[in-house]
Amino acid sequence: MSAPEPEDLRALGDRLDAVQRRGAVRGKAPPPTSLGVAFRFTTELVSALVVGGGLGWGIDWAFDHWSPIHTKPWGMVVMFVLGAAAGIRNVLGAARQLNAEMAAANSDAGDKAP
Amino acid sequence: MKMNPMEQFAVKPLIPLHIAGYDVSFTNQALWMFIVVGAITLFMGLAVSKRSLVPSRMQSMAEISYEFVANMIGTATGEDGLRFFPFIFTLFMFVLFSNVLGLLPGSFTVTSQIAVTFALAAFVILLVIVTGFLTHGIGFLKLFVPKAPALLLLLLVPIEVISFLTRPISLSVRLFANMLAGHTMLKVFATFVIALGGAGGALSLLSVAPMFLIVAITALELLVAFLQAYVFAILTCIYLGEALHLHDHH
Repeated sequence: MSAPEPEDLRALGDRLDAVQRRGAVRGKAPPPTSLGVAFRFTTELVSALVVGGGLGWGIDWAFDHWSPIHTKPWGMVVMFVLGAAAGIRNVLGAARQLNAEMAAANSDAGDKAP
Repeated sequence: MKMNPMEQFAVKPLIPLHIAGYDVSFTNQALWMFIVVGAITLFMGLAVSKRSLVPSRMQSMAEISYEFVANMIGTATGEDGLRFFPFIFTLFMFVLFSNVLGLLPGSFTVTSQIAVTFALAAFVILLVIVTGFLTHGIGFLKLFVPKAPALLLLLLVPIEVISFLTRPISLSVRLFANMLAGHTMLKVFATFVIALGGAGGALSLLSVAPMFLIVAITALELLVAFLQAYVFAILTCIYLGEALHLHDHH
């Protein structure tokens, strides 16, 4: 086998660049499984509740130890509710992102159809 | 006979080692992390050693994974995110190889340990914070201030902060829980095969049913292994993109 000519190589490189610019090679993932989606949403919601409750508990603990004011149940109550709000916001964000991915996958499939 | 489906997740010391009162034994966990890193190094090293113009199977697999990650960063983070390519590629390959190698019978799944996934996720979030402050200075804090009337901000800023702090937890728990659930499910069905097989008579014939199910679940787990590595990497890209561009995507 003889070595290919540099000109040929350059032409091939140009053609490959053109293909890549057209976006023929793209990062694509298979559609998520239902279990995966369920896990996604629950972790988003539950972890926000945990973080919110934990922060509130920490605030109460700090006030209890280092200040004359005692906030005892209220820090946790308020932060837990805020955590729930943050969790719902996270789930909405995750759903929006999944929808966008699905829409992108569908439009790609549409392009290939004759 | 031991048939505990959770036994596979036990971390066992292989070489006991105690330094200054701390238990730093070399465990099966550490061994499998070395195996994962070794497998990746071997795969990439062998794949690119020839550097042929027309790639061999190995080389094209390496090229596909390279392009896959590069395109993922390009779409999720933008072109300026490509300077994080080495980090995200390493992260993706490590999680992918851990997940896939964990499917081998008798192996240990590194990513089924919350300590591992949380360490990865915590590092990602630290990187996001450092990147944000380096790019925007103190203006990075605008990430926590959505466009809203001032009175509502009193409520919305804490929500945004909590939502941001959620990320390392949801990122790590998702990967860990997926791996834990999948492997537990496989083991539970495997015990059905043995229990039914040992029951004798017509029941023994029934043991074929859960065995076919295991084959199907293993195929599903292979998909999950890839998908979770992808989700972990793309969420890292999205978080980094937010730190780089703040509110552009809202």
